Amino acid sequence: MLKLENIYTSYGPIEALKGINIEVKEKEIVCLIGGNGAGKSTTLMTISGINRPTKGRIIFNGEEIHNIPPHRIVEKGISQVPEGRRILPRLTVKENLEMGAFTRPKNDIQEILPWIFETFPVLKEREKQSGGTLSGGEQQMLAIARALMARPKLLLLDEPSLGLAPIVAGKIFKIIKEINEKGVTVLLVEQNAKAALKLAHRGYVMETGRIVMKENAEALLNDPGVRKAYLGE
Amino acid sequence: MLLQQIINGLTLGAVYALIALGYTMVYGILQLINFAHGEVYMLGAYLGIIILGFLTSIGLTAISLPLSISITLVLSMLFCAAYGMTIERIAYKPLRNAPRLSPLISAIGVSIFLQNFVMLSQGATDKVFPPILKAEGLSILNARITFLQIFIIIASILMMAGLHLFIMKTRLGKAMRATAQDRKMAVLLGIDIDRVISITFIIGSGLAAAAGVMVAMYYGLVNYFIGYVAGIKAFTAAVIGGIGSIPGAMLGGILLGLLEAFGAGYISSEYKDVFAFGLLIIILILRPEGLLGKQFGERSK
Repeated sequence: MLKLENIYTSYGPIEALKGINIEVKEKEIVCLIGGNGAGKSTTLMTISGINRPTKGRIIFNGEEIHNIPPHRIVEKGISQVPEGRRILPRLTVKENLEMGAFTRPKNDIQEILPWIFETFPVLKEREKQSGGTLSGGEQQMLAIARALMARPKLLLLDEPSLGLAPIVAGKIFKIIKEINEKGVTVLLVEQNAKAALKLAHRGYVMETGRIVMKENAEALLNDPGVRKAYLGE
Repeated sequence: MLLQQIINGLTLGAVYALIALGYTMVYGILQLINFAHGEVYMLGAYLGIIILGFLTSIGLTAISLPLSISITLVLSMLFCAAYGMTIERIAYKPLRNAPRLSPLISAIGVSIFLQNFVMLSQGATDKVFPPILKAEGLSILNARITFLQIFIIIASILMMAGLHLFIMKTRLGKAMRATAQDRKMAVLLGIDIDRVISITFIIGSGLAAAAGVMVAMYYGLVNYFIGYVAGIKAFTAAVIGGIGSIPGAMLGGILLGLLEAFGAGYISSEYKDVFAFGLLIIILILRPEGLLGKQFGERSK
């Protein structure tokens, strides 16, 4: 479904991605793990078209997408929930959701909202509140719900559990699983490698802009190197 | 006397508010002080003279004055909307990722260019607005309100109400607010921000043009330099209300207009700029974010 081929991305003189290759197949949950500054978020931003690769190709469903504008990438079916959730603080919850469906035909909002409110009942209760007044967990749910409003085929999630209490993080992971079971492919970046690998089918380990390992999730969970470096054992 | 100053102040304030909206909307989205905005207002005033002159020459003003004025207003707004959009494409868009000072200097450049362009093409002397409007009006108590003042106040209120509805209720308006709050997130949501920015300039320039036509009718005189003073005043209004805040620009404009009218009426018209900028200084000291600041412009990140 998604293929990154030999992708290089730079911030000015600093090379953040140094020739990475990633493949995500339909219906999979794939996770990227690695330390701070490994290039995980940069990878997602490069897929979304916010950062442009200096070399390499990104192919989504057989189409090159690394040189089309970011809003067209959303139209093609890739939505991102960025790190820090980035809720629009002075738009209401409902307006945040509407903005999620910006690339969709107008009447689509009414069709998808019932499903969103069923998956995230708390958002229905908070519908008219402004986004900035929600708690961290609620904001994360809103951020995911907002991305789903675009009816993505591929969902990019950057640190969805960051800053959340363990019980709330558990809820978020459960929701990600449900979404995936409904047919949305997921590429997940997580600091909480253990939870992420339990959820994912396959994983990639990144270090300083390179992919150093790719395995199915279970193998990574049992790998002594990974256990030591990322699972705190 | 009091009522008279309120009427004069509201008329002037409505015009300041219309211009201030363009400053504040552009600032909200791009964090750019568009110094060429006053010149768009000046262009609007000149276009008003040209279009109304043309309508007079074909005899339309003799048939229906309100119709002629409406046509003049709409055409001038359309022309200036196109100007505003073009200015953004040529002078600001290529600098979108440059340091913030670069588009600011580019804006000053556009401002100087437009002033000189109009001076060379239209002449450096004052242009007189076609004297088709008689100073008819109504007397209320001891005050007089001309039909033109009524027109200016009502037309401004309608335009501001229309803008408010557009920003709050439409998809594109919400996308503008989203872009102002977090541009990167807006892009990630699939909002084409180039389009949002174009529309911001189109609306801002259209409102400035409307202000230009109305002021030209009100004072009857236009020259290539009027954009400078009006621009600075409207910018002051935007800052007083809280730059980036749309209701703030409306409030700031009205307040500034009233203050100037009262100052001119009760103290001396020589000092009216002193009152305007004095208020600016007081606001900047006591409430630097402006009266209604941070409703529109502040970024979450």
